[in-house]
Amino acid sequence: MSETVLHQHKWIDVVKYRWVWFGLSLLLIIPGVVAMIYSMVTYPTHFPVKVGIDFTGGTITQYSVNKDVSNSEVEVLRTKLIKAGIENPVIQILKTNNTISKAEKLNTGTIISVKTAFKSNDKTSEQKISDVIKSDYQDAQLVQVSSIGPSLGKELFTNSLYALALAFLGIVVYLSFRFQLDYAVIALISLAHDALFVLGFFSILGIFFDVHIDALFITAVLTVIGFSNHDTIVVFDRIRENCRFLAKKANFGEIINASVNQTLARSINTSLTTLITLGALYIFGGETTKEFVLAMIVGIAIGTYSSIFFASTLLDWWRERQENKTKRAVA
Amino acid sequence: MKNKKLMFWAIILLVIIAAIVIVKKPTKLGLDLVGGSRIVLEAQTTDTIAKITPDMMSSLQFAIENRVNALGVAETVVQQTGEKRLLVEIPNISDPAKAKEFLGETAELEFKKPLDGKYGATGWAPTGLTGKDVKKALISTNPGGQWVVSLEFNDKGTKKFGELTTKMVGQSMAIFFNGEMQSAPTIQEPILGGHAQISGGDSGFAYEEAKKMVDLLNAGALPVPAKIIEESLVGPTLGADSIAKSKTAGIIGIGLVMLFMLLYYRLPGFIADIALIIYSILVFAVFKIVPVTLTLAGIAGFILSIGMAVDANILIFERTKEELKAGRTLFTAINAGFDRAFTSIFDSNMTTIITCVILYFLGTSIIKGFALTLIIGVVISMFTAITVTKNFMHLLFGAGQLKHPGWFGIKQSEIGKAYEATETKKEKAKFGILD
Repeated sequence: MSETVLHQHKWIDVVKYRWVWFGLSLLLIIPGVVAMIYSMVTYPTHFPVKVGIDFTGGTITQYSVNKDVSNSEVEVLRTKLIKAGIENPVIQILKTNNTISKAEKLNTGTIISVKTAFKSNDKTSEQKISDVIKSDYQDAQLVQVSSIGPSLGKELFTNSLYALALAFLGIVVYLSFRFQLDYAVIALISLAHDALFVLGFFSILGIFFDVHIDALFITAVLTVIGFSNHDTIVVFDRIRENCRFLAKKANFGEIINASVNQTLARSINTSLTTLITLGALYIFGGETTKEFVLAMIVGIAIGTYSSIFFASTLLDWWRERQENKTKRAVA
Repeated sequence: MKNKKLMFWAIILLVIIAAIVIVKKPTKLGLDLVGGSRIVLEAQTTDTIAKITPDMMSSLQFAIENRVNALGVAETVVQQTGEKRLLVEIPNISDPAKAKEFLGETAELEFKKPLDGKYGATGWAPTGLTGKDVKKALISTNPGGQWVVSLEFNDKGTKKFGELTTKMVGQSMAIFFNGEMQSAPTIQEPILGGHAQISGGDSGFAYEEAKKMVDLLNAGALPVPAKIIEESLVGPTLGADSIAKSKTAGIIGIGLVMLFMLLYYRLPGFIADIALIIYSILVFAVFKIVPVTLTLAGIAGFILSIGMAVDANILIFERTKEELKAGRTLFTAINAGFDRAFTSIFDSNMTTIITCVILYFLGTSIIKGFALTLIIGVVISMFTAITVTKNFMHLLFGAGQLKHPGWFGIKQSEIGKAYEATETKKEKAKFGILD
């Protein structure tokens, strides 16, 4: 067969293997869902992921010191803090590599992070923490304090959920206006697929590496949704266009195959360039945005996969079902 | 062709203007980059104040502004966010604990009379004389060498104080500050001159204590109690470190993307790279004009938007390559490439803008910064990746047949084998296709 629009030998037949893709998607999502259920049952907060002070409220005070801090030293610090009247301090040791530390005379190496309950208008606990740390580490410098009231934390969380729901709604309305309702619904399912994967991924990270999510994480998820939707629209746009030109020559499955393959180079290249910039941010960027960037890297990877293999084949499956139904109705 | 040249010079002019803006205007950096303290205060309802009104909020803001100014730090921000919250930003602060102490205190001064009509053994009752009647407070010393706070009443206060002291000769008058009794001297004789003194009881005030009370009294009491509900403090060294890191990440990220475009798309890739540089210049100029306060999250938004700007070019070039493979001339292939890719670019960018607008209105300030830079980036990328690139491509390639397929990274053998879309007459006219 000669190579035409519909058949080129190096093309991938995505439609033919659709059950493989559906299976793979399940395989990707199930571990995360299991982790989320486990988290909701076992965590005192009953959130599917480990959440930071942005959502629960609390105070984190960070000091940088010039030497390594061992686990036994952490224990000593903890006891001292409790003795000084600080309730349930959670101490974490963070390693950093400061690019300009020498020029700026910033302490290198280690950051001692102390998490406590939130106290409004409270100057004494801050002073106590400072005293305890400075008695052990004379060169300790206050790097960062963040403190969020519990009611604000709750509000942030509900606001984030609103934002997520509204974003989904906005996208569906826009897509059903520009395309058709079933395109919109399938785009939405594939977005939920991506969001679920990212959440599950961080739920697993929470269990095994004690990674907590913050308000920026929600931003990352929303961006991923926007980006993945980008990809899905490009494929759908091609399907829409090809339907116009090829509707008489080919069935829907063939059109989808052609569309996916025609946009394949673009999908991969775009994700690649975005992943390049994100990779640079992850490796060279600031500490505070690391997890935010990681969430986007994971999300963009899954978003590219879902728009190539999941959304398009789901659309094909759905249309085929509809056709069979109308055929049966006619018969 | 004349129009194209005109467009070209217009683009150059725009870039020059943008470059001037970048050089002339200062960049506004967020507290997470310069270091400083950011505090959110929330007005609290009490037994007597059932609802926070806009009037209360503006007088609260006024009082807080006074206090922040008393700290003597430049470029502070006090601004209302939401119905009952105030955002306070203090850059480069040396003593954050003091600022915090300063902002949360109500600074309520009250003069009270004894319930038992003598020394207050059974408690104290309000007299109606409060900090509102004070015109000025000063720090001074009493004959015993202790620090005291001298008060000067306003006209109303002078009258009230005169009447009270006339009635209360021989009794104690207690002075409460923030609900705590400071001293309760016995009134020897009526005081009509409108001056009073607060001593710190037997032990006296420490200098800091007296100074703080004076500052707070002069700044005015808060009309409603306010509580700190959020606080973040970033040390100046961490901020400098973040700037340096973001710069490195941005330069490496853009550099690698440009390299990729050049290697994969060849000559068009080179044009896209130039468009990307123009994009960066324009975006930074807009950041300075708006002005956008750059934060770490905002920089992340910008770097992400680079990915999206390049996406538009990738879409266009892939389409143009297909058209060339179908055997079109350069001019029509470029036109068709841009036109066909446009709906994809437009629809996908619209959804990004939709999510960003939602984020902007619902998010906290960090998220707002991210959403704003991403929106600006996406809108400008529509201009640079479409208008600028198209203009450069036409000027560079002209209208003839494709003589050097290698420029586009395609092989001669691939030409004539790909797309066979049948356009309508209207579309043919639009792309300039002649059959």
